[in-house]
Amino acid sequence: MSTTLVLENVTRHFGGVPAVDGVSLEVPAGQITGLIGPNGAGKTTVVNLITGILHLTQGRVLLDGQDVSKTEAPDLARAGVARTFQNIRLVPDASVLDNVLAGFHRHEKTGLWANLLGLPSARAEARQMRGGAMQLLERFGMTELAEHRAGALSYGHQRRIEMMRALASRPKVLLLDEPVAGMNDAEAESLAHIFRKVAADGVAVLLIEHNMRFVMSLCSRLYVLASGRLIAQGEPDAVGRDPVVVEAYLGA
Amino acid sequence: MINFFNTYQSLLDHILVNMLLAASQYVVLRAGVFSLGSAGFAALGAYCTALLTTKLGWNPWLSVVVGMMLGTLVSALLALPLSRLRGVFQAVATLAFVQIVLSATQNWVALTNGPMGVNSIPHAAGTASLLLIVVAVVVFLVMMGRYSFGRALDVIREDETVAVSLGISVPYYHRIAFVLSGALAGLSGGLHAISSYSITPQDYGFGLLVAALAMVVLGGRTTVWGALVGALVLTSLPEVFRVFADYRAVVQGLLLMLVIIYLPRGLADTVIAHLKDRRLRRTAAPPVIAAPVGVLTAQTRSRS
Amino acid sequence: MLMQQLLNGIVVGSVYGLFALGFTLLFGVNHIMNMAHGSVFMWGAFAGLFAVLQFDAPIYVALLIGMLAGGAVSVLLDLVAFRPLRRRGGPEFSAIVSSIGADLVLISIAQKLSNTAVMRFPFDAFPVIFFSFMGMRVQLLQLVIMALVVIMVVGLVWYLYRTSFGLRIRSVAYAEQTSRLLGINPGPVNMQVFFISGALAGMAGVLIGLVFNSVHFAMGEPLLLRAFVIIIIGGLGSIPGALIAGMVIGIVQTLSVAYISSGVAEAIVFLALFVVIVLKPTGLFGQPTAAMRVQRA
Repeated sequence: MSTTLVLENVTRHFGGVPAVDGVSLEVPAGQITGLIGPNGAGKTTVVNLITGILHLTQGRVLLDGQDVSKTEAPDLARAGVARTFQNIRLVPDASVLDNVLAGFHRHEKTGLWANLLGLPSARAEARQMRGGAMQLLERFGMTELAEHRAGALSYGHQRRIEMMRALASRPKVLLLDEPVAGMNDAEAESLAHIFRKVAADGVAVLLIEHNMRFVMSLCSRLYVLASGRLIAQGEPDAVGRDPVVVEAYLGA
Repeated sequence: MINFFNTYQSLLDHILVNMLLAASQYVVLRAGVFSLGSAGFAALGAYCTALLTTKLGWNPWLSVVVGMMLGTLVSALLALPLSRLRGVFQAVATLAFVQIVLSATQNWVALTNGPMGVNSIPHAAGTASLLLIVVAVVVFLVMMGRYSFGRALDVIREDETVAVSLGISVPYYHRIAFVLSGALAGLSGGLHAISSYSITPQDYGFGLLVAALAMVVLGGRTTVWGALVGALVLTSLPEVFRVFADYRAVVQGLLLMLVIIYLPRGLADTVIAHLKDRRLRRTAAPPVIAAPVGVLTAQTRSRS
Repeated sequence: MLMQQLLNGIVVGSVYGLFALGFTLLFGVNHIMNMAHGSVFMWGAFAGLFAVLQFDAPIYVALLIGMLAGGAVSVLLDLVAFRPLRRRGGPEFSAIVSSIGADLVLISIAQKLSNTAVMRFPFDAFPVIFFSFMGMRVQLLQLVIMALVVIMVVGLVWYLYRTSFGLRIRSVAYAEQTSRLLGINPGPVNMQVFFISGALAGMAGVLIGLVFNSVHFAMGEPLLLRAFVIIIIGGLGSIPGALIAGMVIGIVQTLSVAYISSGVAEAIVFLALFVVIVLKPTGLFGQPTAAMRVQRA
């Protein structure tokens, strides 16, 4: 398996204070890699560094071998880096389907006027996207909710919509920022099932979480972040037993 | 405060012209562009139209088209610097633009006749033609808003970072929204000119700026219907309740505050959302989504 | 001649700076742009004028009343237009719209009360005394204004940096959530800030009313726009920036009126506002502003 996303010694300072310090990790395609750590460890900062929201103070980010450390956020998205957000930002008054369709945006080829005039090429593409969206809804078990207003649905449903939207862009890399926060075990487990399928399709998945139990069965490899530094990495079982890791979680 | 009309114009004409102005304000706000410049583009459209017809004897409808093009052109030029701004800075910059246009129309007496305004503009726009234009514009905007363009605008408005993460080009959509807004406002101004016999600089000042904002806040800024409802209500309210005409500004001010605090989505948008929810709740009520049983037991088995 | 105009400009500009100071204080602590701040200024002027006209109050009492009225209107604004939104966590757009609405209400009430008239302070409200200095005519009023501005600024700085109240204000401005955790109640802090900024605006209202010899319901709008220019040039949340930029604007305005015309002077101020916002939203002194484009930070 190729290593789709690589971080080399990534560092970010905020006014002299290192929020992220010398983090190196690899996110191979077809697997779920976990980045865990107590609250405030710098996990979201890492995501922001990868997705182009923050400049790197030091280090490199490589996507398929190419240095994307200085690439701006929109270009990274178009290169196939997708992410979900800790606080869900859907369009509450739009339907579930419309929210998911927004994710297909980067693949749209027909222009503004073609759509307005209802040209056959635009209509064909719209049908294709709609079909793709419905497939995603099927996968996530939400087909009956397609026309529901996204804002009227439960938190669990909204999380799924956000996930579908991120997947709609058919990314190479998917960064999941605490995707099961606030969910019960059953719901979290059904999402885990979907993550496994996504990885199996060849996507490089980086799962950011602070819930150890959840990531244990899901990830092939874990990286543990505390106070901006990697304190452990490796097989989930080994990492889970590492006293340094246990201390970091208990002491935090 | 707003002296947008003189007593020769029928209420329906007022409403129709205001609907276009509200549409202009809606387009930018839907995209999350905080532009208050519609009044300025309306002034450009109106004065261009009025001067072409009165001073050069042009055909009124042709003048309106040119007025609309002027609004479009200026908004296209402004879109470049203004699309780099956000929030209150965009608002104040567009506010300054409105004031600059107002200063120009008031002080450039040689061209615009100053505070006396332009008079004896041929009344070429009847209610029927206004209605036709508004319907055409509404159809156009509904089409634009329903598909990928509207979806992109909505995502950008909700959260730009999310939009960027989906590969949506924020500057591109902001600019289109801005130019469209300028075109619609220019059209509104031009039509106002040929439907009200005379225009003065004050018609397009702070009063109109606030009116446009109030219409969209009241009605809703995420659907076209919001703009239409807001224009309808705010234009007819002073006519239906005579007492409000005197206190128009106070009423508008109170409405702005009350609506944005207690009904932030606006009348039309709130009703539309409510109707959508009710209609769908009547169809199959979906159960709580639980994982397929097979998967769950497989997992619990593997963990123990 | 030029020196005279410069002096006039500096005096007027320092009052603009005072007004802008109150405005930027609000932004620094609450992160909102109070679009109704111009009306606070106007109501301060109205109150001061009322005190003089109705009660024959001496000018320093009128000044005090103007300050109190400005503070009171400002606090009222917070309670009615901003606090309900803070409680509901509304976006920035809502706060601006709400303050525009409040502005409208305040202006129209003033318009009704004053019958749209342009009023003036009585001729003898402030002793008309001139000094001759380096070929310029310096009014006692101008000296008093400068003195007042200095006193107010020094007082404000002392309050913010040397008292415990000020410490709480700065703490909330810096990190509201953390301050809350430390037991600082942001409610009273907000009220203080609104009061202080309103009092500064109210004082500015009386002073400008005296300098330009006119008090009318629409006098607040131009001030608000000038305040924007000032804080953008001088930098959001910067005290020296507000004062220096204020004087710059005062000078530009006075010179434009003297050498071109008052109509064009207005247009120049708006043009300056537009250009300044587009080119330098962070200002020369201040910190970077709220969310701009999404790009690597």
